[in-house]
Amino acid sequence: MEPLERLLKLVALLLNAPRPLTFDEIRDEMGAYTQDDRDVAKRQFERDKDDLRRIGIPIETGGTDVYEVEVGYHIPKERYYLPEISFTPEEIAALFIAAHAPGPYEEAAQAFGKLARDADTAVISGLVDRRVPGLDDSSVNVMDAADAVARRRLVRFAYRPTGGEVSDREVDAWGLVCSRGAWYLVGRDRSAEDVRSFRLSRIVEGLEDAGDAEAPPERFDARDRLRSGPWGVGEPQTTATVAFSPKVAWWARDQAPGSTVVETRADGWTVLEVPASTDESFLGWVRAFGPDAELLAPEDLRRWLAGSLEEIRASL
Amino acid sequence: MPPSKVARRIERLLAIVPYVIRHPGTTLEELGRLFDVDPRSLTKDLNLLFVTGLPPYDPGNLIEVDIEDGRVWIGMADYFQRPVRLTPAEALALYLKGTVFLGAQGLSEADALRSALDKLKEHLGETLGGLQIEAGEGKPSGPLDAVRGAVERRETLEIDYYSASRDEVTTRRIDPEHVFSALGNWYAVAWDHLRDGERLFRIDRIREARRTGDPFEPRGLAGAGRPLYTPTGRDVAVRLRLGPRARWVAEYYEVDDEQEVDGGLEVTLPTPDLAWVAKLVLRVGTDVEVLDPPELRETARAMAEEALARYA
Repeated sequence: MEPLERLLKLVALLLNAPRPLTFDEIRDEMGAYTQDDRDVAKRQFERDKDDLRRIGIPIETGGTDVYEVEVGYHIPKERYYLPEISFTPEEIAALFIAAHAPGPYEEAAQAFGKLARDADTAVISGLVDRRVPGLDDSSVNVMDAADAVARRRLVRFAYRPTGGEVSDREVDAWGLVCSRGAWYLVGRDRSAEDVRSFRLSRIVEGLEDAGDAEAPPERFDARDRLRSGPWGVGEPQTTATVAFSPKVAWWARDQAPGSTVVETRADGWTVLEVPASTDESFLGWVRAFGPDAELLAPEDLRRWLAGSLEEIRASL
Repeated sequence: MPPSKVARRIERLLAIVPYVIRHPGTTLEELGRLFDVDPRSLTKDLNLLFVTGLPPYDPGNLIEVDIEDGRVWIGMADYFQRPVRLTPAEALALYLKGTVFLGAQGLSEADALRSALDKLKEHLGETLGGLQIEAGEGKPSGPLDAVRGAVERRETLEIDYYSASRDEVTTRRIDPEHVFSALGNWYAVAWDHLRDGERLFRIDRIREARRTGDPFEPRGLAGAGRPLYTPTGRDVAVRLRLGPRARWVAEYYEVDDEQEVDGGLEVTLPTPDLAWVAKLVLRVGTDVEVLDPPELRETARAMAEEALARYA
């Protein structure tokens, strides 16, 4: 009997069994595991059982009668069957794109195949030929970190901070954040006794399970813990007026969410009102446009910017 | 220990059988695409279904499989009419992939994706229960839909593209073959008619994309997973020393040869063009020190001077 046939028959039998079946009953019913040496046969059965469990088939053991003298095997239907989740056609389309995007996490396609069972035939047929956007995520340890967070584990790993020395950390895995294409594990660093974020690409080798994690504080939001780099316009505190050359004005508008056009000047420059922070992150953003931007107001920010440009010129 | 090859095939079959029962007459091709399997090995697996079923494995208890004109029907397998629950790996993979897309921003399906992932989490409590996976801030995505549409239709686009390194906007015709997200940015892999070569375009730098109505034949360019930065013969090794407030540069760009020196972090940034590094220097300010090459210092100083002239 082909292994595929044997395994399928085993699943069908145990799924339909009204009560747990002993190994001998399974052997008689299936006509498999019939080697002369019962131990050899039993070992093959054990291997099959473990193999099926690894693909998520819930083979359980239980007493075969009320006296529970003999142990038998069965697959409880309620633990086998995927409960129905109803998705809208738009949601199915979005999941299809995520699942079939060329890139890592290949198990996603199979997950989608299972969920697609309950979708409309026409919806799926309309999707399968689509050319979906790809995903380039070469981060390592993402699945392990996600699993640790899902199961609230304490994890141990060697971490190399930017430019720093590698050191061992023990972290309560509380959250995982994907920001600008990079993954961060957020949790309590036991040696620092503080909540920290760890970029997964800076974890040397893998994550090691170190026991149960402590519960996160109430209303813990992993995103709060992630320091964002000073690459945007910063947290808006005021509105600044900035003129941009025709070359970069459209680009500046895209970069600054919430900005509005005040006017297009006779010289072709566009004047924008931009929600801005009153710190270095906004000034740095304007400076990066070089001579293609001029901060017009407020006056104190303008003076501050000019001062910072002078300092930079002097330092170069 | 990972599952055996046979177990992998069973796993796939136990997902395909319920699908076919619910969608009778599905084509082998569609199944192949949906479950990432080539129709030949799928046919082989389906042909083995014939001989399985329930004891005593007589015609009344065997699974029925019909394959006609490339279409599939399955009967006598009521107990396989629902799929197996998602394994933790499957649920996580789908959830993580969806989250990366949400983080990339600009996807027109983002709202639907978010609600789908919420439903998934609600129903898969045992697997995704304690999970706090979030998409952080993303970046502007430019005319992503227009480019995706052109990829789908295989239609040449005319774009106005802002090249940050050359600091100029050029108009060109491109044949986009793939769109993908990497490090929070969207990219298009396209044949560039202006330079007559393959090129990677950042979609947020496309100022405008216009349809041309001209179809193109794909040239089989590589999609996601390709290097984002191709070293050129013109590359200059820029050496910078980053102060505490400039360390983010090392996280944000691909840098080599990191070295901690007197509280500062020295890094090397290979680039074919100094203009954008000069802008980076202006952005970061006095917290970065240019060690090499000297021309970079010149370029940045000239740029600072020109900018300062506006405030005189």
